[in-house]
Amino acid sequence: MNNIETIKSRFRINPVLQKELKVKMRGWKAAILIGVYNLVLALLTIFILKITMSDNPGSVNSQNITVVYAFMVAAQFGLISLIAPALTAGAISGEREKQTLDILLSTTLSHWSIITGKLFASLSQIIILIVSSIPAFSIIFLYGGIGVIELLQVFLFYIVVAITLGSIGIFFSTFMKKSTAANVLSYAFAVFLYLGTIFITIFYVQLVIAPSQLTVPYTKTFWLMNFNPAFGLISLVSNQFGQGGYQIFPGVSLNAGKGIALWQINVIFDIGMSVVLLWLSAMKLNPTKKKWSNAFRKIRKI
Amino acid sequence: MLKIENLCKCYGKFQAVNELNLHIPKGEIFGFVGPNGAGKTTTMRIICGLLEATSGKVFADGIDVINKPKELKSKIGYMPDFFGVYDDLKVMEYLEFYASIYNIRGLEREKVCKDLLELVDLSEKKDFYVDSLSRGMKQRLCLARSLVHNPDLLILDEPASGMDPRARLEMKEILKTLRSMGKTILVSSHILPELAELCTSIGIIDKGRVIMSGTVEEITKKVYHTQTIRIKVIAKVEETIRLLQEYPDVDGANVTSENTVEASFKGDDMFLNSLLLRLIQSNIPVVAFNQLSGNLEDIFMMVTATEEIK
Repeated sequence: MNNIETIKSRFRINPVLQKELKVKMRGWKAAILIGVYNLVLALLTIFILKITMSDNPGSVNSQNITVVYAFMVAAQFGLISLIAPALTAGAISGEREKQTLDILLSTTLSHWSIITGKLFASLSQIIILIVSSIPAFSIIFLYGGIGVIELLQVFLFYIVVAITLGSIGIFFSTFMKKSTAANVLSYAFAVFLYLGTIFITIFYVQLVIAPSQLTVPYTKTFWLMNFNPAFGLISLVSNQFGQGGYQIFPGVSLNAGKGIALWQINVIFDIGMSVVLLWLSAMKLNPTKKKWSNAFRKIRKI
Repeated sequence: MLKIENLCKCYGKFQAVNELNLHIPKGEIFGFVGPNGAGKTTTMRIICGLLEATSGKVFADGIDVINKPKELKSKIGYMPDFFGVYDDLKVMEYLEFYASIYNIRGLEREKVCKDLLELVDLSEKKDFYVDSLSRGMKQRLCLARSLVHNPDLLILDEPASGMDPRARLEMKEILKTLRSMGKTILVSSHILPELAELCTSIGIIDKGRVIMSGTVEEITKKVYHTQTIRIKVIAKVEETIRLLQEYPDVDGANVTSENTVEASFKGDDMFLNSLLLRLIQSNIPVVAFNQLSGNLEDIFMMVTATEEIK
């Protein structure tokens, strides 16, 4: 009996996660969110299916399905990218604004538990949205070409991206006092990942790399582009279609299944960055950073 | 129960807590009195592990607060001066959430939460959303929350601020009950008469230092050097005054209202006993004989003003 109790206490659900889920899933709000999300996704799918079929009304070929699949994957990716930072950017700063953070910190709950509880409570909503979209995605199984494994790969990629964007939100939420500032900075960071990396790559390749190697064209992927989740997704979907070996623009080349793919590097980077951001957030949340401040004091003295 | 040694906290060049020393024995209600910005909240936050001390030591039940914060947090219940509640939870759910943090589960959790709601007189509100509670009720709920893990030491920062007189009285009764349960309570408040009535001892803090501590009587003695006795008689007022003036330890005696004499004196309980005996032996019809305890507000003003001059 004692052993069972010990095991139970070790594997208890994070109290913050449990509370957040209770609050977020209560009432009609969550059901309406899921309903509206799937309605938008389904309407967009029907819309794009109609457009692709306009050349050949009444019949669907594998090319149409590939386009519909790519569109649905991109649409869901866009929605997740928009939602994830918003769900987490107010997680800690909101507690601070509501004056509930001090009480939470005065309990025995570890700072890491508070951070992960908040992150996974927010992500659970996204995961529910992703899972609930399976029926809409199942339209592609009607015509073949795309299998369950490919769909799972994409869904796992979504979850990694959601964790990354969620961690960015949590990070700024911990370091900023106000939720508004945390929201702005989270989206700014996301915009940098999605667009900033493209602009920097284009300018750097055109202005620095290209002039230095006039005779040989630059066909590699510039290192910064490995951090761009959108190009990670493009790389993943291209691999699924068996395409590769071409250049999207100077600085981004998709390999043809040889070596490590851009999306794989992107996933590794995303996971690494999430761990670092969450760890920094947990450290920041710890009000008695004795060891750290002592270390800093010593460094300052030196 | 709580021992603070040479505690210091600096914010840049500003010293919020300056070599603060304090010792609170088990089972006491210790009142922390001081002007705004004196360092009360800072000290309390350090004790609760919410703020890092610049230097010094804090021990709660023998546990080093600074080096073992997690161990300590299971022994301390903290109620901050400004706090929020989760408005979207029900009263019972609110307590259950905090109980789950301390790994209190199942039937035990339910029992603990119900008992606490009974203690703070919120049993009838258990299925109400926290949002619908009045300020006083929220404060009582927050107190119940701080007790969910049955801590030995309670740190209450202005627990009755913003409450109406009835709610303050109820809070005072709850604190007395908690003391009878063996809890040690460190409480800060600006409502000094209530604090004087409630607390077993008081610490006056100013500019980050405890400038005086002890029971209200002890502090009165230290501040005023003399004490006051009030005697009510049915008759023979003049004779009472004459008799009092015979004592060299009595500084002065005068009539304050009809048949009531007040006299300031230097002396202890033995002196008072002999004085009472003498009055009765002299056939003076005494109906009331009581030593006036010092007015904490006056003491506070006097002590903090002296510090200001220094």
